[in-house]
Amino acid sequence: MKLTLSNISKTYKNGVKALDDVSIEIESGMFGLLGPNGAGKSTLMRTIATLQAPDSGTAHLNDINILEDKQSLRKVLGYLPQEFGVYPKMSAEDLLHYFARLKGITDSNQRTEMVNTALEVTNLFEVKNKSVAGYSGGMKQRFGIAQLLLNDPKLIIVDEPTAGLDPSERHRFLNVLREIGTNHIVIFSTHIVDDVKELCTDMAIMNGGQILSHHTPKEAVKALDGQVWTKVIERDDLEQYENKFNVISSNFNQDNTLNIRVHGTEQPDGTFEAKMPDLADVYFVTLREEKEVVAA
Amino acid sequence: MFYSIFSFEIRYWLRQTSFYVYAGIMFALSYFVMVSAAGIFESLTVSMNTLTIVNSPIAINGLLNEMAIILYFFLPALIGGTIYRDYKHHMHSVIYSYPFQKWEYLLGKFMAGLTVSTFVMMAAALGIILGTLTPGTNPDVLGPFNLMNYVQPFVYYLIPNMIFFGAMVFAIVAFTRNINVAFIVILAFFLIQIFAQNLTADLDNKYLAALLDPYGAQANAYYTEYWTIFEQNENPLPWGEVILYNRLIWGGLGLVIFGLVYWGFSFSQQAFSFNFFKNKKGEAVTKKNFGSILTVNMPKVDMNFSFIENLKLSWELAKVDFKYIVSGWAFIIIALIGLLISLSVILLGGEIFGTDTLPVTWQMLQLPGTFFSLFINILTFLYAGMLIHRSRGDNMDQLIHVTPTANWTILFSKFLALVLMQMILLSIIMVAGIGVQTFNGYFNYEIGQYLFDLYAISLIHVVIWGLFSIFVHSLFKNYYIGFILLLIISIGITFLGEIGIEQTVFKFNQAPGTAYSDMNGYGRSLAPYFVYKGYWLLLAIAFYVLAILFFRRGLPGSFKERIQNAKEAFTSKLKLIFTISLIGFLGMGSWIYYVNNIKHDYISSQEWEKRTADFEKNYGKFRDIPQPRIVSSTINLDLYPETRDFEVAGSFVLKNKTAVPIDSIHIDHNNYISVFEFDRDFQLVLEDDSMNYDIYQLANPLMPGDSVLFTFALSNEENEILENESPVRYNGTFVNNSIFPRIGYQESAELSGKEARERYGLPEKPRMPAITDSAARMNNYISSDADWIDFETTISTSPEQIAIAPGYLQDEWEENGRRYFHYKMDSTIVNFYSFISAEFEVVQNTWNDVNIEIYHHADHTYNLDYMMEGVKKSLDYYTENFSPYQFRQLRIIEFPRTGGSFAQSFANTVPYSEAVGFIADVDTTAEDALNYPFSITAHEVAHQWWAHQVIGANVQGATMLSESLSEYSALKVLEKEYGVHQMRYFLKDALDSYLTGRTFESQRELPLIYNENQQYIHYNKGSLVFYALSDYIGEDKLNAALSDYIDDVAFQEPPYTTSLELLEYLKDVTPDSLQYLIKDMFETITLYDNRVEEAAYTEVNNNTYEVNMTLQASKYRTGETGERIYKNEAGDSLSVEIEGRRRPVESLPLNDWIEVGVFGTDSLGNETVLYLEKRKFTDILNEITITVDEEPTSVGIDPYNKLIDTISNDNRRPPSREDE
Repeated sequence: MKLTLSNISKTYKNGVKALDDVSIEIESGMFGLLGPNGAGKSTLMRTIATLQAPDSGTAHLNDINILEDKQSLRKVLGYLPQEFGVYPKMSAEDLLHYFARLKGITDSNQRTEMVNTALEVTNLFEVKNKSVAGYSGGMKQRFGIAQLLLNDPKLIIVDEPTAGLDPSERHRFLNVLREIGTNHIVIFSTHIVDDVKELCTDMAIMNGGQILSHHTPKEAVKALDGQVWTKVIERDDLEQYENKFNVISSNFNQDNTLNIRVHGTEQPDGTFEAKMPDLADVYFVTLREEKEVVAA
Repeated sequence: MFYSIFSFEIRYWLRQTSFYVYAGIMFALSYFVMVSAAGIFESLTVSMNTLTIVNSPIAINGLLNEMAIILYFFLPALIGGTIYRDYKHHMHSVIYSYPFQKWEYLLGKFMAGLTVSTFVMMAAALGIILGTLTPGTNPDVLGPFNLMNYVQPFVYYLIPNMIFFGAMVFAIVAFTRNINVAFIVILAFFLIQIFAQNLTADLDNKYLAALLDPYGAQANAYYTEYWTIFEQNENPLPWGEVILYNRLIWGGLGLVIFGLVYWGFSFSQQAFSFNFFKNKKGEAVTKKNFGSILTVNMPKVDMNFSFIENLKLSWELAKVDFKYIVSGWAFIIIALIGLLISLSVILLGGEIFGTDTLPVTWQMLQLPGTFFSLFINILTFLYAGMLIHRSRGDNMDQLIHVTPTANWTILFSKFLALVLMQMILLSIIMVAGIGVQTFNGYFNYEIGQYLFDLYAISLIHVVIWGLFSIFVHSLFKNYYIGFILLLIISIGITFLGEIGIEQTVFKFNQAPGTAYSDMNGYGRSLAPYFVYKGYWLLLAIAFYVLAILFFRRGLPGSFKERIQNAKEAFTSKLKLIFTISLIGFLGMGSWIYYVNNIKHDYISSQEWEKRTADFEKNYGKFRDIPQPRIVSSTINLDLYPETRDFEVAGSFVLKNKTAVPIDSIHIDHNNYISVFEFDRDFQLVLEDDSMNYDIYQLANPLMPGDSVLFTFALSNEENEILENESPVRYNGTFVNNSIFPRIGYQESAELSGKEARERYGLPEKPRMPAITDSAARMNNYISSDADWIDFETTISTSPEQIAIAPGYLQDEWEENGRRYFHYKMDSTIVNFYSFISAEFEVVQNTWNDVNIEIYHHADHTYNLDYMMEGVKKSLDYYTENFSPYQFRQLRIIEFPRTGGSFAQSFANTVPYSEAVGFIADVDTTAEDALNYPFSITAHEVAHQWWAHQVIGANVQGATMLSESLSEYSALKVLEKEYGVHQMRYFLKDALDSYLTGRTFESQRELPLIYNENQQYIHYNKGSLVFYALSDYIGEDKLNAALSDYIDDVAFQEPPYTTSLELLEYLKDVTPDSLQYLIKDMFETITLYDNRVEEAAYTEVNNNTYEVNMTLQASKYRTGETGERIYKNEAGDSLSVEIEGRRRPVESLPLNDWIEVGVFGTDSLGNETVLYLEKRKFTDILNEITITVDEEPTSVGIDPYNKLIDTISNDNRRPPSREDE
């Protein structure tokens, strides 16, 4: 199972270059697409999900040409957009049957079994008779997962699914995703590093319509091994440190002092101590490097 | 803060494309309507022939208000949109936390919406103004530009209406946060208004109707309904108390609604929602089961995208969409409105003279038909848009669009849902129809006819619109644009004729109509209908394929991307369907065009006009040449109802009645296959195939007093599906002698419109020759090539049918499987005879020695007794008062309603449409319902005297002698049979018809004795005038004069009599004091303006009441276009100032006898006459005191409206009680 994108570019009518020569290969497993708002993640995902055509480039899932044979891709696709609604006054069960029908499941026994499974997996079985339009944010997101599961998809695309979920909902949601992702390609976009950290087997960082890096989270973290240093400083000294060192992040301690993390191949000075890099460091370092490239 | 909200909104709108689209639509439509009304397309089609100025104040007001109806549909976007936007973009939670006051927010939004709407409306006004200034328009129908004509409609109607509708929309959107609901409400008002317009025609209380119309149009009509052409062209837009009250009611209601919004609105974030059907308690949903999972093991499923499964899928998706439509309360309410309107249209619509029609099925289907076809179309346009855009509206589109379901499956489900909706709507007609039938105890349910008419004939029409709507809505993201575009297209198609596009083959979804008759079923009308519908269905399918291609799937960013998507979606199957339907469409279209234009000559109406002019230019010189006249007609007519063919072998004896020899005979004929012969040597010297005008030269001239036998054979070309070559029906053929050749140049065929004649350089010509034209008096007004003729005929038809023609049956036999009838008239008749053939039942009766027969359709037995009675009572009255009946027989013969809704009198023969009496639901006890089967019969029998004994010369006033006198005669028979109350209803209706008729006059209104075959004059005014005259001088005196007149002129040879001659008989029996009546009623157009100014009474003692009243009497004459004249020939007139009136009241000098009445009420609530006398009036204002012996409840001047008065309801008023 392999998704291959080559030289995909897309410029919107207002001049925004949302995708800039994106090429990437994605294999089975959980793939995290990490990037700030406006990085082009949604455009990329909608392109893969056959909703938008790129200006140029090609996209294949195994031997399916996504851009030219949309219907074939749709048969194996599960997609959850960043925002969605449903017809009012329809229960989860009715809606899932509706979607199952749209996905070509004609046998009503099979359909019922599938809908029930999807409801159980997403833990919506008890509220299956309630109108989805009245669901809470988390329940609605789970419904979104339920509907995408119905055709037992090979390629699953979820766009910022955890935004707005409370921690327990988010946790649960990610668990479901992880479970599904074992045999299929699951691409999910987020701007929350922890999401990726918790479950991705592969990831890319995106900004400005470009893929800035593509590694497994482990590799990426490993690459920064011995390059992240930390120190507690006073609030007022931050600017001075920023000028002097490659500060990648800073956060407050309770006594209003700052923990800063600095990227450097060598210890900046004796007051810094070495720290195990984490995925957040990878993210910030990658984004900073890109900025520098742009600035240069 | 108010100002910043207001100006922000205005600036927002001015940046929106949609604002310019709305304004552009309004501008373009108004411009188009105006230039078209002003005759810019006249060069493409026929001449307008109108006297009406199209930019008079009242015309501009009318046009602006019609345009405003479209604007009201924009209000949900323009006014509702200003507040809806904040919800839509989830701005409300932010905005509502800003520091401004509620009134600033609401008023700012509302005023901005109102202002923007006014801008859009001003675009319409601008379109009209530019339209009037466009070169190429006809200057005769345009008055000078006056800005006030545009400002006043805004102030009087448009802005108050926008406040009312706007406030309603604003309130609905503010509380429901749903723009569609507001749209549906506007639609509901629109439908109710259409319905109310039809209703008020019957409503006695026009005052109430005027107040209750939210658009204000009825209030305006309250003042303008009887405006003559002159008044329509010259008068400023009226303003009066009724309009003021109407505006206060509706504008005020708008403000109240806005106040309620202010009161009820809070900056909360929950929408108010309607929950009519269920009232479930809310449940708190708590989260459970946070535990982790689980292994996900999705079951194995099979996916199937076979064609059959896709079809099933479409059906299942359609059920969901259908449920969405029909469970929406908006649809339920609209459908209920549709049902109510259908019911009331059915209940009220079939009335003729206040009498209901029996609820026969075709009537149930036809009455709501016009309203309903608009109703279903609008809902189709609307719901097609809602279905197409539904998933995006609910933000579910991305979920659906990534499923592997094909576009066609999705769109086919929308189509199915739409058709299901249409079927539900159509069944409303059936429910209403069967409901009304059951309610009226009419149990002859023709379910088959309902089903066929609704689900075969009507459904295919709306299905084609449905497919087209899906196409249009697939193209546009904004469903307002799609909806309005569809509305404009559907209305615009009906106006294509005005720009010279007349052939149905070029008008989308148009087809020749179908018409049903109990006698003849659908006749030949079904086949062409379905041919055309099939043709348009093919095009609609092609459009539908385009809809599938251009369906907005995913998030296409550019037009290029949609084209790309379309190319991808254009699968080989779709290509095949598209190609086949397009080829089929073009193929059928070519065939239709070929049949109509190449195989047969197609003559456009402009071409007709031109040919008619050419005919006059070429042959008009033969107008006065001596020609022989028909003195005898013998016709052998073979009718073949099965194939609708006919053959004629006829002969005329032509006699030279002139004093000079005639060497050539001119024949004006139809385009049937014709062969003409004479019984002596002749030569064809001119044959004009396009105008069918031939000249035959006789070898030896026809000497004065000599005769020649002219024989002719006619037959029709073969009938085709699209070309009807014959007037023969399967059952119920009705033809008259106009299908036979005529002798000499036919002046009646000339162009009559003033403008048309001008256009082709023809001299001006009155519609009828002047009353003093002695040459014209040599012909009667029915026939220009004969006087009194002998008549004999043999008709053959199919064995189950009976054929009837004037004359007495001589013989009847069957031969070679056909049935023959031989009729012969033993006295001479007017050259006007008919032939009827159908399956009939016959009822027979006698009056003295006159044999009376009614030939009727087997089921139509309801009113035969009234008709029979009508014949007998008429013969009683006419023979007693006028002269003997000239025939020994009188036959009434039913013909299909598809041949017309009238009855017509031929010698001893009265063809009578099935629609006008056979199915009347007569209630002789009703106060306000006329027994019209009886009265129409009486009218037609009267024609045996007035047309078949006395026939007027072919000059002005001729129809007074036939129609007015027949109306008068029938009225008298009716009065004798049913008493005076039936008179009142009849006369009231006649007055209204006369006053309305004159507002549509296209050339000139003339006094009764000069009328030029104008129906509103000879029928309606004629019946009023003769009835009033009999009331003033006495029935006996009038009848004696008429009897003398018949004695002198009946069966006369030329020159024929005129209305002027009759007038002399009338003057002779009218006393000097009433001679003014003759002048007022017959010789001039004179109207009264009588009213009760004040009325009061005091109780003198127990049985004596003194009534004091101030009565206004006034009369005026009007000119040919309706301008009022108060001065008599001597230049005298009366004038008096009345307190509270802006202008003095004027009048012609008065010396008039006018009825004054005082009325009481008996214990049963019926009116009793306490005092009724004609009194002489010489002044405008008159104080009158009358003593009566019961308590008066009403007083009046001319209380029974015997005189012509445009405002008849102020002739009476209840007096106030004053205590001394």
